[in-house]
Amino acid sequence: MTNRITTEMITGSMLNDINSSQAAMDRSQAELSSGKTILQASDNPYGASRAIALQSQLDGLGSYANNVQDGISWENTAGGALSNINDVVQRVRELLVQASSGIDNQGDLNNIATEVDQLTETVKQDANTQYAGQYIFSGTLTETPPYQPGATDAYQGDAGTVTRAIGPGSSVTVSTDISSLLGSGQGSGDGKLLDVLRTISEHLRGGTTEDKNALSSTDLKGIDANVATLTQLQAGAGAVDAQLQSAASRIEDLQNTTTQILSNTQDAELAKTSINYSNQQAAYDAALRAGANIVQMSLLEFLH
Amino acid sequence: MSIPTLQGLQTALSGLLAEQQAIDTTGHNIANANTPGYSRETAVLQTNQPLVIAAMSPMTGEGGQLGTGVGVATFTRIRNIYLDAQYRAQNAALGAASTQAEELQQAQGAFNEPSSTGISSQLSAFWGAWSELANSPTSEAAKEGVVSAGKSLASSFNQLSTQLQAISTQAGQHYAALTGPTGEVQDYANQIAQLNHQIKLAEQAGQQPNDMLDRRDELLDKLSSLAQVSVEKQPDGTDTVNFGDAAKPLVSGSTVEWPQTLTAAAGGQLGALLSLTGPAGALASYQAALNGVAAALASSVNALHTSTPFFSGASAATLAVAVAPGQVQTSSTADPGGNDVAQKIAALRGGAADQGYAALVEQVGSDVRGAQDEQTNAQTMTTAIENQRQSVSGVSMDEEMTNLISFQRGYEASARTMTAMDGMLETLIEHTGSVGL
Repeated sequence: MTNRITTEMITGSMLNDINSSQAAMDRSQAELSSGKTILQASDNPYGASRAIALQSQLDGLGSYANNVQDGISWENTAGGALSNINDVVQRVRELLVQASSGIDNQGDLNNIATEVDQLTETVKQDANTQYAGQYIFSGTLTETPPYQPGATDAYQGDAGTVTRAIGPGSSVTVSTDISSLLGSGQGSGDGKLLDVLRTISEHLRGGTTEDKNALSSTDLKGIDANVATLTQLQAGAGAVDAQLQSAASRIEDLQNTTTQILSNTQDAELAKTSINYSNQQAAYDAALRAGANIVQMSLLEFLH
Repeated sequence: MSIPTLQGLQTALSGLLAEQQAIDTTGHNIANANTPGYSRETAVLQTNQPLVIAAMSPMTGEGGQLGTGVGVATFTRIRNIYLDAQYRAQNAALGAASTQAEELQQAQGAFNEPSSTGISSQLSAFWGAWSELANSPTSEAAKEGVVSAGKSLASSFNQLSTQLQAISTQAGQHYAALTGPTGEVQDYANQIAQLNHQIKLAEQAGQQPNDMLDRRDELLDKLSSLAQVSVEKQPDGTDTVNFGDAAKPLVSGSTVEWPQTLTAAAGGQLGALLSLTGPAGALASYQAALNGVAAALASSVNALHTSTPFFSGASAATLAVAVAPGQVQTSSTADPGGNDVAQKIAALRGGAADQGYAALVEQVGSDVRGAQDEQTNAQTMTTAIENQRQSVSGVSMDEEMTNLISFQRGYEASARTMTAMDGMLETLIEHTGSVGL
């Protein structure tokens, strides 16, 4: 004997089927409107935890990208200041060559000395360049200007380095040790730029034969030695800049890859979901039609 | 030996009465086609006691038995008690799985992951704020940013912990309401005990109380959603009902034994509520794991933020930012431009706290998914058994219509027999003995 089919079984299973097609449609609709396949952790528990990790990784890459951009701006500011100092040094060298090639008039020499003094102040001003409110040449004493304007030439910063994190466990030193170029002035006798400039000015004003001889010998050598140091510093800054630029493009690649993986993990495939949705709509429609027919049908229809 | 003259009329009458009762039963079935718990009934027809006629045959003189028509022996309800037992076992499983899924979904909702507002995003924003601070270690705004990101992170932990606690408390209240003096268990048990009493009386009077039996079975079905139910049929017609893992029967005859102690092994909704809210339950384990994440966060940040602890509190409920913006430490030295501490804290991204939290979300997600799958399976099983039960006990309109026609035709035929008898008697009374009159 076959199973008896009763009225309640028919209505019950029809209702179940209609409910489940509606649930499937509801799900597709939610995926389409949010654009995501993982709406709740239970939709794909492993995928959800992976999406969380990837999103954090992506945010982290964003932070590194910010650090790199900040480092590049810092480095550009430093490069500009060093380039200004270079201009000044070249001008001083010109003046020095001019003075040591037979200007006898002490008045003219004094004028040159005054210009050298002014240029010395310009160098100190360039050293006091700030980026985002921080003195970039003061080591980690970023709130203290490295050189005070006026007679005192002592370096006020420290030997600390400022770094920017550009990746997990990797960072770049963006600060430049300006004291290796400028030194701490005549008092220290360190032969560095400020010491040399102050000495040149002294020799220009001195007027003795020894002073004049010194201009063309030790002073010129001193300037040239400092030009070499400056070139080194500029090369160093350029190298850091290149390193940051390459980090920026590496981070951008990583960001693209991670975004792609995150999208694969949690985003809905619109085409596929749309097709599913259409199929589900058709199925739902059919279930409703069939249900309407079956429920009405009974022997009652045919008896009179 | 002859046959009583009016016997034929009596036989036709028995047919009329029996078909009428069968039609009444069909009418009762049709009327209750949509009544929950109703089992279709049939009028069991049986031949009446035959008339014994001694030496009936004029040929051999042997006696015989003459049929005297039909009567309704009993009205039976068509029901399979083994399917009832299976249905109740599955219904308990369904009750447990549904409750489990419902409560765990609430917990999942509290986590609200993956989203741009959950703890994972807050954690990410917190590490991002430290990275910003590392770029501008002297900036008050950046320090303010770190503190405010820390505060919203801590308050998210606090809220999630409170929500988990609230879900657990509500589940406990739900259990208390179901099992309390005005709860469903007490109510169903009272009704079953009362029906037991009435059924016993009816059966003693030799009646078959079909509709009361249906109502009692319906109550047992409902009770089985709350916890596992097993029924012992007693000879006097009463049901002894064992409920969950309660020590004594819930209903025995007309007495109710409630409240009793249940454990998570009781099954059904009540068992699921006890298992969820218990010390080893899912909600407690989420709370513990969340505390672990909060503790890992606080200890890893505080270990680097050496000047003064950045976070106070080592549990999700108590986690708080303990520093003002001015106290935020960026460097291990006193130099304003130093940023080593800020960089190291920013590098904690993806560390123990992040991993622990992602693992917790995965745990919650797979628990919910498991519970939902279980619910779907239990639903399918319950529906399948319910269909089998319906196949046995449910009312089929087509069948009832067919029966109706056959009983109606039977009734008409019996009436025709009676007419024939009437004609015979007329011949006998009106026309016999009038020959030659």
